[in-house]
Amino acid sequence: MAFEPKIIAYLCTWCSYTGADTAGIARLKSPANIRDIRVPCSGRVSPEIIMRTFEQGADGVLVLGCHIGECHYNTGNHRAAKRLPVLQALLAYAGLEPERVRLDWVSASEGERYSRIANDFTDTVRTLGPIHWRVAERGAHFVWEQEPISHRYSAFSDEQPKHAVYHTAIYDEQTLILQAAARELLTNKLVDCVIGFEVGPRGRTRPAFIHQPENVERLVWNQDCTHNLSAYLSKKLGWGTDGGKKKQPDKLPKAAVVVKPCDSRSINVLLAENRFQRDQVYIIGMACDGIRQGAGFSNDKSGPIQTRCAACNVRTPVVYDTLIGDSEATYREIPPEHIYPGIDHLDALTPIERMNFWLSQFDRCIRCYACRQACPMCDCPICLYERDDSLWVGMGIDVDEKRAFHLGRAYHLAGRCVGCNECERACPMDLPLSLIHRKMAQEMETIFGYRAGMAVVPPPFVTILGGEENLP
Amino acid sequence: MNYLTHQELAAWLDHLAQEQTLIAPLNIAGNILYRPVKDTHEVVWDFTRSFMSVKDVFFPPTERLMLIEKLNGQVKLTETLPEGESIIFGVRPCDARGLLTLDALFIENEPVDPYYARRRENTTLIGLACPSVGASCFCTNVGGAPDDPTGMDIMLTASNGGYVAEIITEKGEKISKKFPVFDGLSEIRPHPTHARKRELRVPPKEAWPARFNDDFWAEMAERCLSCRICAYVCPSCRCFDVRDEALPGGNGQNQAERIRCWDSCNGIPYRKVAGGHNPRFMKNQRLRNRFFCKFYYFPLHYGPVSCTGCGRCIDACPVNVDITEVLIYMGRR
Repeated sequence: MAFEPKIIAYLCTWCSYTGADTAGIARLKSPANIRDIRVPCSGRVSPEIIMRTFEQGADGVLVLGCHIGECHYNTGNHRAAKRLPVLQALLAYAGLEPERVRLDWVSASEGERYSRIANDFTDTVRTLGPIHWRVAERGAHFVWEQEPISHRYSAFSDEQPKHAVYHTAIYDEQTLILQAAARELLTNKLVDCVIGFEVGPRGRTRPAFIHQPENVERLVWNQDCTHNLSAYLSKKLGWGTDGGKKKQPDKLPKAAVVVKPCDSRSINVLLAENRFQRDQVYIIGMACDGIRQGAGFSNDKSGPIQTRCAACNVRTPVVYDTLIGDSEATYREIPPEHIYPGIDHLDALTPIERMNFWLSQFDRCIRCYACRQACPMCDCPICLYERDDSLWVGMGIDVDEKRAFHLGRAYHLAGRCVGCNECERACPMDLPLSLIHRKMAQEMETIFGYRAGMAVVPPPFVTILGGEENLP
Repeated sequence: MNYLTHQELAAWLDHLAQEQTLIAPLNIAGNILYRPVKDTHEVVWDFTRSFMSVKDVFFPPTERLMLIEKLNGQVKLTETLPEGESIIFGVRPCDARGLLTLDALFIENEPVDPYYARRRENTTLIGLACPSVGASCFCTNVGGAPDDPTGMDIMLTASNGGYVAEIITEKGEKISKKFPVFDGLSEIRPHPTHARKRELRVPPKEAWPARFNDDFWAEMAERCLSCRICAYVCPSCRCFDVRDEALPGGNGQNQAERIRCWDSCNGIPYRKVAGGHNPRFMKNQRLRNRFFCKFYYFPLHYGPVSCTGCGRCIDACPVNVDITEVLIYMGRR
């Protein structure tokens, strides 16, 4: 028997659903493979719905909405038009044939058009054959047996010395300036807390929270300050997800934070999303020459700088109240294929090979959520993938669920991720998460010409509530 | 005592792997993990400590407890107990002690957990003494040792280019007879692994309650990210969550499964109760619970401390939350 695909179609109730009806009344032929689901608007079809549909065994997903300019809600279909191409790119990157998702427009009177699109899409999916997306077998392991794909930048591997020399004297000098700035802020009670870096008893540099002026001597600035401290800001200053206590609008907490140029970009995103007010945060910007590989974990003080730093072209924070230092490092123009070696390598593979690659990576994930917790952008009060009433992903720590979580998270970070690499650094299983997030950043730059965090501008997919709406 | 050359050991393991599942340390994309192997070809023989402990062989991250089906208007429940025998090679002493902690909860006290008990029954542990002590290891401070055979079925210690093997239990005896490499004639005795003991005192359980309200917990938790690395890499953390989930497809039948997954007291929803109240909503409460569980709650109910000193949580924590710093603080007057 020939393969008959199972296709789920999400139809806007105001146009396409009626369009399908019109096709029926006109006795036009429509394939029996399609199961229609009526939705209020194509903008209602979130990427999670589509991903879940594939997880549950659909061979193709068709989304039909009103023509642009005819949306019942004015701009609902604009959202669908923005989202679907990015989702398609993400799923294709993860190993799904992009042809399995299609977005099109059908108005209520276009029965003939509905019939044509439905037939055409069914034929396309039938040619592709059955979907191999869901793994389903509990505890199955996946190993990547082809040539390893590195997620590290290769651009400088030849020219970079194995051991870099860090300007310890300059770090010491800047540490003193930093401590003085922190002391002043705390003594004058301009902030409640200074979030900076300290060196722990094991010699590992780690985040420090200074509340008293007499403790500022714990603060340091060195080649190991790799953490993105802006990850703590939303919870400290914003909507109080940790502790559940709502902040009083007339007495908003204030904090100072030490940021590198990359971290400063995430502050811009957070500000654009109204996580907190600009005057709640005092930004101590550090000009940055690059951070050492292995920083935050190993005690080797002379390793090479992180390759993301070697390719970084933002050496001075994009937003700050005080700037310390003057970066000596220069940016070198690097062709994109050298910056994103892993992405190119993956793009060149077949979809099934890409899927196997990602399964072999997600296989190691233990769903500890360290990536999410370390991320400055991941600050939903309850993560969509952790809600006890969530139907987007099961509770299991198996490769299907882990993939759903990571791809979902990648989509949620599209246009918001500033590439601080904290997720990848925090990952205990060494998953190449930057490979997904960089790919999404690339897509967002190509499609929308948007680079996250360069200014206080809301990312393309983000809907912002007004400042007052956001307050408790 | 028995002495095995490297070739003899590999041949014995290869022989065992034909009959049972052999689980051994492998290098998976740079991480040492215990995985089933077909033969000893790819096994990593020399490693300090695996990234994940052997806990997940007995207490998997996700396991199906039962299958729930709707058949002809009736609900049918099928218990899914694990099948098959296996052998784990290369178990480190800290992991074996971790299993004893899990035993106390799952086997030695009612109600017995049939899934865990079945896996324990059907699995033989071949221990391998640590050649050296890692930078973050502190097993000697919590009652262990890098060459401690406690909890093993057979204990191997690298010596003179081969391995000295000590058969400890009947289970170990049984697998040793499957291939003629154990003659029991060797005079060679294993050298104890040199372990420098750290100046680290583990306070008795009585010392903990008085420190419950200290500011220390809030200070140290401030940088905690509330992820679950520490619990998931820990050989003795054993919390789980159970849920019924629908199975997709199922040929038109209504199928669901009851699954059990790892959980961690560091996660925000862990302590949430009906009605939405969360008595441990602050992260300092959650982090404090982790240490109290290891050194106070567990000893209170079961005897010894439940930390095995493997140091995995210290190495894996992205923000350097360090269990030994807690012990140092608690040791202060």
